[in-house]
Amino acid sequence: MSVDAAVPGAAPARTAEPDLETYLGDPHDPANPVGYPAVLAADERGELLAEGERALDGYGLNAEFVPRALGGRFDRADRLAQVMRAVFRRDTTLGVGYGVTTFIAATPVWTSGTAQQRRWMADLLLRHGKASAGYNELAHGTDFGRARLRARPAGDHFVVTGRKEMVGNLGRADAVTLFARTDDRPGSRSHSHLLLDMAALPAEHLRRLRRHRTAGVRGVLLGGLEFTDCPVPADAAVGDLGAAMETVLRAFQVTRGVLPGMAVGIVDTQLRTVLRFALDRRLYGLPVAELPHARTTLVDGFLDLLISDCLATVVARALHLLPEQTSVYSAAVKYLVPKLLQEAAHRLSVVLGARSYLRDGPYGIFQKNLRDLLAATLTHASAAVCQATIIPQLPRLAQQGWRSSPPPPPALFRLTGPLPPLDFGALGLSARGVDSLTATLRGYLAEPGADPVVGRLCRLFTAELDRLAEICADLPPRDRTVIAGRRSFELTDRYATVLAAASCLGVWRHNQDDPFLRDTPWLLAALSRLAGRLGVDPGAAPDGLERHLFVELLTRHQDNRGFDLVNRHLAG
Amino acid sequence: MSGTIQDTSVDAIRSWLVGRIAFYLQRPAEEIDADAPLVEIGLDSVYAMTLSGDVEERFDIEVEPTMAWDHPTVNALAGYLHGVLGSRG
Repeated sequence: MSVDAAVPGAAPARTAEPDLETYLGDPHDPANPVGYPAVLAADERGELLAEGERALDGYGLNAEFVPRALGGRFDRADRLAQVMRAVFRRDTTLGVGYGVTTFIAATPVWTSGTAQQRRWMADLLLRHGKASAGYNELAHGTDFGRARLRARPAGDHFVVTGRKEMVGNLGRADAVTLFARTDDRPGSRSHSHLLLDMAALPAEHLRRLRRHRTAGVRGVLLGGLEFTDCPVPADAAVGDLGAAMETVLRAFQVTRGVLPGMAVGIVDTQLRTVLRFALDRRLYGLPVAELPHARTTLVDGFLDLLISDCLATVVARALHLLPEQTSVYSAAVKYLVPKLLQEAAHRLSVVLGARSYLRDGPYGIFQKNLRDLLAATLTHASAAVCQATIIPQLPRLAQQGWRSSPPPPPALFRLTGPLPPLDFGALGLSARGVDSLTATLRGYLAEPGADPVVGRLCRLFTAELDRLAEICADLPPRDRTVIAGRRSFELTDRYATVLAAASCLGVWRHNQDDPFLRDTPWLLAALSRLAGRLGVDPGAAPDGLERHLFVELLTRHQDNRGFDLVNRHLAG
Repeated sequence: MSGTIQDTSVDAIRSWLVGRIAFYLQRPAEEIDADAPLVEIGLDSVYAMTLSGDVEERFDIEVEPTMAWDHPTVNALAGYLHGVLGSRG
């Protein structure tokens, strides 16, 4: 493979690191090429916003996906999610169709590629090239072990035959990370990754398949490719032959661990849109925001966003700090956060009323985001796939991990604290029954100065963990697998909820220098909300809790700050 | 260390493995063919990783979660584990 293969686009400026949120500008400005009016118009046309792609090229977004050691800006998984929120606040379609697709394709190369392959992919991305993740075959979906596209070794090259379908950017990518069968035997050692330089492949062996149209992220180019006896150089193999399954199990921890934190930006916009409406619109002589039901819904939405960000940020940091445990956490966050965000958006739609489905006007972005959120949930791994990843690990977690795991280092929760480099090779394929994140709950209860009200709520979650341990330790064999019954899937939901509670607790506990996060009311409200999700009565809320959070929400809105943990000033 | 002394002969490891696999497949132990690829008798990649966990708990050793991918039959696994257990000090 040629290291200096030509890729369209100019090299990015290597000056001071720009701020994407500021760069993308006021989303309400009709003259902004990546503002809501332009975004909505592109969605109506079912197109990826071309001006948006140019803008992201201009910023050099791909550099966010390239490790710093290779000349990019990727050195922290939590920061990547936060930077990408600027895109997801404006256009989920661009976030998925420009950003996530390339990130997913590049990560296996960072995980298992040779120095030359990593260099090639990095250069391609830094020149705004596009990479596509060639995994999906319609007949097999996420059942990767049965993927059929065949790469037959033949001397100094492979001969590739088969098709990949419904894959983002597959029809226009400069590089494709291809998941291919290199052995006919069934099992987990029969697949390999090939890194394809699309410009170098003979066109007569390739056929583009039709584009699939979607209800959400309508501009994303979901295409397919059919290979017929296509020669591919032997040095395209990423990692050892037969090692692709292992690479996937590592690389996807990173992608699944980071995506949910990006999607937090979608609901940030949903909440801001509905709040804007609720403050402008008067009913019964009051702004809608002052109606008790609307106010509760807005505050709940704010809490869901904070809870989602706590879990997303902590899991992203765990990729650096607890890589041997993230096989469980990355699946849990990819399962729970999109679900929480979707539920929050649906509840918020009630406040917006009929305007929640108007495709134009000042609140038009809401209906687009409502559709796009579904895609954010399904992209890369559906809820069920993530739950099925957790289920086989439940019995071992139940036998020991939930009772005796060591608590995590405080750095897991210190949002502004440094992180060690992300070591892809250290990501464990199994957590081996260890779960440090939930140990945060017991750890807090053992502290001498523990706040009694916080402690009472924490005990609800340790009790839940005890209940889960009892059930999971004795799961019947069929319920320990991907073909488990519904009960096992419900157990993962409850477990993920406990993980979210532990994340909130840790973020509160270890950011006592942050003027908002050190405040106990948000934590009490978040834990109560999560307890309610488990069907456990959290007890009466302290007086004025909702009003307190509503004032915070209004203040952030007036100051034009984000509703997430970052709490930063936004453009516009 | 768990403190329990396990019989680490190939036969003992084999019959323990057969017992685990029979449990997962809910079939009588006599029906488990020790030379058949695990994936062909119904143990997919996920079961294979679960089996690695069982081995770690039972013998108090650390093995690769992918152990059963590389030693894909009961007999191959029993031979591999016997070697690992025999060599631990």
